[in-house]
Order: sequence, then structure tokens, then C-alpha cells
Amino acid sequence: MNKPIRLEDILLNNVWDVDYEPHIKVDSEKCVNCDVKSCINLCPAGCFTLLGAKIVFSYEGCLECGTCRIICPRNAVQWDYPVSGKGIHYRFG
Amino acid sequence: MSRHFDAIVVGAGPAGSTAAYTLAKKGFKVLLLERGRVVGSKNIFGGRVYSRPLEEIYPNLKEAPIQRWVVKERLSLIHVESNISLDYECRDGRSFICYLSELASWMAKQAEDAGSTVVTEITVDSLVQKNGFVKGVKVGDEVVEADAVIDCEGVNRLLLEKAGLAEELRTDQVALGVKETLKLGSAEIESRFGLGEKEGLSWIMLGDVTEGLPGGAFLYTNSAAISLGLVLMLNTAKALNEHVSRLLERLRLSPFLSRYLKDSSIVEYSAHLIPEASSVMLSRPYSDGLLVAGDAAGYLLNLGYTYRGVDFAAYSGYLAAQAFEKAHAQGDFSKKGLECYGKMLKESFVLKQMLKFKGIHNLLNDRTLFSEYPRMLSNLARELFSFDYETPTLIEALKRSKKNISWLKLLLDGFKVIRSI
Repeated sequence: MNKPIRLEDILLNNVWDVDYEPHIKVDSEKCVNCDVKSCINLCPAGCFTLLGAKIVFSYEGCLECGTCRIICPRNAVQWDYPVSGKGIHYRFG
Repeated sequence: MSRHFDAIVVGAGPAGSTAAYTLAKKGFKVLLLERGRVVGSKNIFGGRVYSRPLEEIYPNLKEAPIQRWVVKERLSLIHVESNISLDYECRDGRSFICYLSELASWMAKQAEDAGSTVVTEITVDSLVQKNGFVKGVKVGDEVVEADAVIDCEGVNRLLLEKAGLAEELRTDQVALGVKETLKLGSAEIESRFGLGEKEGLSWIMLGDVTEGLPGGAFLYTNSAAISLGLVLMLNTAKALNEHVSRLLERLRLSPFLSRYLKDSSIVEYSAHLIPEASSVMLSRPYSDGLLVAGDAAGYLLNLGYTYRGVDFAAYSGYLAAQAFEKAHAQGDFSKKGLECYGKMLKESFVLKQMLKFKGIHNLLNDRTLFSEYPRMLSNLARELFSFDYETPTLIEALKRSKKNISWLKLLLDGFKVIRSI
């Protein structure tokens, strides 16, 4: 516990019921010319990663905070809440 | 399930459940809709609730899942490895620490016991409007109607935006909160923080905890866990050159916290947006057939040294329910009939407080305040307390520690702080 824990490992403590359909869709074409890419450091769940010059998005670990929706300067994020009780399941909150 | 209700409440957070509870107690037929699998599973916050407004609403608040009552307040300015703290102890706690998932669940239970119909796993797609009048909600292909809808959907107000009743939030209006819930034995918590049974600590940290970016950090003691989190103003957080979780991890492992948190382990990692600017507040939190309460209406106050969200949310939900009752008595759910909600809010502590501290958001966005001043004060403390031969006078110490901050700026900033909080 004296070393920083990697985000992937921190996230293992959470509970999700992942939907088959993503509740967030990212038009990564729009990200190509984005010079900010704030989503990479500010999505708390690290759902946005850089692969070469491309943004790769995965919705599975989403904490449903809404940050990406607001910080994206290119309007590339189409954001909705998951349906039918899917998504993150906070036990403490 | 009947297709028509007196009121539909969207979202079973503190605002929604309180609105539903208040309406059901008055005998109205209420439908409370929640998108989580169970109530509370989508609710997160820092950790502390001011109790008095809730006691007014819930006479049995003592039965709520309260973790600890705050008897210790600590405000720390952190600079590198030194920190300056202000400690306040008072056995007569007015606020408590809890898990929001548990509190929200308890509130919804009160609403259900009072007669509300609570349905979970329902994500409302849109508000149903006829000629601009909200008539109900749409879920999938189904429509449920009501005399009025009370929208307590939270900070991401998708429904209001879709209906053209709220603007999309901007980065300069909100902060990002990230939190780790850390399991730690209650005996360890009590001995390390100097607390008795059921006694809690609220600790707010400013300065290097956010790398000098506007924001802060918080630590709350639960019964057998610590809530440790960071708050970053989203606009300036863009300057962060590492992942936000790294910042939180560094805080957890920082020399001034690690001895308190030794042998604790992460049991949950959560995140939430916090309405910060007073411009998030809806200028009119009601419309034809619609009332808005809680985060969705922008009722949350960050004072820098404390946060108020749950009490504002619950109380606005409580007032929305009372406004509904008045409108019902007059048989008028139009804007005009619901106008009384605006009036009640203005007369209540919720809006009075929100307006009183309207300027604080600018102050809390001031970068010098979070980088220069913690450094200056830490240097000042070092000048005053850790000397070898000569003790400096206060003026000498101040002169040496303020460095490039001019006396005028110091004076003006001091005035700004005093005026804003």
C-alpha cells in the first residue's frame, strides 16, 4: 500500500453491471485534430486512452460522472445514462 | 401500474426522495423513478451532511444510517512537506458523515413507507411536453402521466437540456470530485484521529494537494472507513499533465496522510461532478408542469472550507413538494401556479445562502490562492517557528515569506477573501 496503485487495479474494487450497448459513443474521427485531449487525464475511470495518435474509448469502467461530455471541445462525445439499472453500482457512495 | 399519478419524481437522490416523501405524507399519489438497480447505487458525494434542515423534514433522522457526527473540523494549507492547520473541536456536532448510497436508500424507504411508489432500474428518456406543458415522462416507448413532474435528475441534467430548459454545462461552472473509500478499523480511526465512538473528523486540505490548481481535498472518517477525495475545478484541471487518479494516489501516500491511513485498503473508487458556479442555478427552477430541485437546479455550495449539497438538495425537494401542494389546491400547475416554488426558495436558507456566496466561485478559481498563498504561509510559519539564532519579527517574517507578492496584492487578496466568505 506504500506505492501508488494503478488505476486498473483501483477500479477492480468497483462493481458494475455492464450493458451490451455502450451508453456513451465517441466519434474518434473528431479527436484526430484535437490538440487538448483533456479526456485522457480527466476521465476518472481512464476510459479514454491514446493508441498512437488515436483516442480509444471503452465504456465498461465508466463512473457516470459526466466529465467527458463537458470537457470535450469537439463535441465528439454522445453521452447518455445506462438503461435498466446497468452501469456502475456504488455500494458506499 | 396506473398510468396517471399526481406527481412523478425523477431521481431518488436526496432531493427526489425528499420530494416524494413530503408529497406522499400529504396523501398525494407519487411515483418515484430511479435509474440505479437499487436506490442509492448511483449516488456519491464527499461525505458530510448538515443535519438541521434534514431534522425539520425527517423527524426520525436519528434512525438514518449515520456513520459519525463531526466533532472535529480541520482546515489545512499544504505546501510540499509542511502544512498549516486550523483545528476546531466541538462536541455538539451539527453535521454527520455518512455514505450517500445508504442515506439515499434510507430516504427512499421513508418515501415508500409514506405511500410513494418507488420503481428502480428506470432511466427516464425524456419529459413529455404538450405545447410546452410537461405532462409526464417517457421511458422507452411508454409514457407515464402526472399533474406535474419534479425533476431531481442530478448534475447531468440530460432531461432539462433535451427539453430546452437548461443550457449544457460548461467547464468553468463545475468541478470534478474523485474519491477513494478506504477501509480502516474503527479502533484505528479513533486512536489515530483522536476521536471517540461515533465521533468524526472533517478535514479539508488546500494547496499542493491539487498541485496548486484551484480545488482542494477532503477526508471524512466513517465508522470503519475513510472517505478521501479531491476536487478540481474542471476549467483549470485541463492543465493537469497526469491522470487525476495519480494525484489522488499521491495524496493518499503523502507524508502527512500516510500515517493516518496506514494499512487501509481501497474498497471503492468513485467520481462525480459538482455544480460550482452560481450560474448553474436555473434562473427559474419551475416551468409549466415542472419543478426542479437539487443538483439539477444547481443548489450546492462550496465554501472552500466546507461543502453543502445534501441539505440544499433535500430542502429544495421539500419546498418543491409544498409548491406542488399549493398548485394542486388551486388546480393550476402552470408556471403561474408553480411560481410559489421560486418564492419559497428565495425565502429559504437555500437560495439566501446561494446568493450570499455568489462571488465565492471566482475566489475559488484564483490560482494564486491555491499555489502562492499556501507557499507563503508555510514559509511564514517556518520563519516564525524554525529558527536557529535570531527570531524574526512578524513583519520581517512576512516580508521574507511573501517573496514576489506585493503588499498591495496581499491587501487586495485579503480583502477579497474576507468579502467572499
